[in-house]
Amino acid sequence: MKRPPMLMRVQIHGEEGRFPLWLPLFLLLPLALALLIILSPLILIAAVILRARRRQLPPIARASLGMLCSVRCIRTAFDVLCSMPGLRVDVSNRNERIYVYII
Amino acid sequence: MSENQKKILEMLANKKISVDEASQLLSALKAEASAPENTAEVGTTGKPKPKYLRVTIQPSSGHEHDDDADRVNVRVPMSLIRSGIKFTSLLPTEARDKVTEALHDKGIDFDMRNLKPEDIETIIEALNDLEVDVVSSKEVVKVFVE
Repeated sequence: MKRPPMLMRVQIHGEEGRFPLWLPLFLLLPLALALLIILSPLILIAAVILRARRRQLPPIARASLGMLCSVRCIRTAFDVLCSMPGLRVDVSNRNERIYVYII
Repeated sequence: MSENQKKILEMLANKKISVDEASQLLSALKAEASAPENTAEVGTTGKPKPKYLRVTIQPSSGHEHDDDADRVNVRVPMSLIRSGIKFTSLLPTEARDKVTEALHDKGIDFDMRNLKPEDIETIIEALNDLEVDVVSSKEVVKVFVE
């Protein structure tokens, strides 16, 4: 079963020193959900305006299409988020290093 | 009922094997059939499904100690690529046309409108055989799956 990422490990090594950081993403998820609920009317309006702008449809059909589109967008965005565990980026040179690992 | 199961039952009916032997053979067949579920995920080609796409950039030998020698090591889960491809289906038509045009300008003849969600698994499986090695005087770039 897919699950959203729980932790993000960030390490920045520079000439000034090391900066290791563990970000608890699981604490951010309830905040993101609350934000999504607050912004959902705006997302719906934007979807109705942008997605169905060029279609000659009655307003109710446009609103339904926009709602469907925004639900699909949110679902796909959540899918992308849930696919992130395991992503690792490590970029370094002689003096600096940036390391990001999503768990 | 599979062909092998039928053969075993026929042999039992012809009294070529005993009930115990038939039972053992049927159990062995059952275990064989359920074996792929217990092991790693395999694709239609029989090879294990790739889990990650790796991109590495290392300085070539003789340039390891250069100040500007960058090392890059990226591991992207295949599920992220899968979701990314699905995400393209949400792009508005105008945006897709622009991407296709930009790719065409770069010499890549690829039409994003032809990318369908049902093709994703085929693309991912085709990546199984992918291995790109680019060796220049300063860097070695490798793209592969694991």
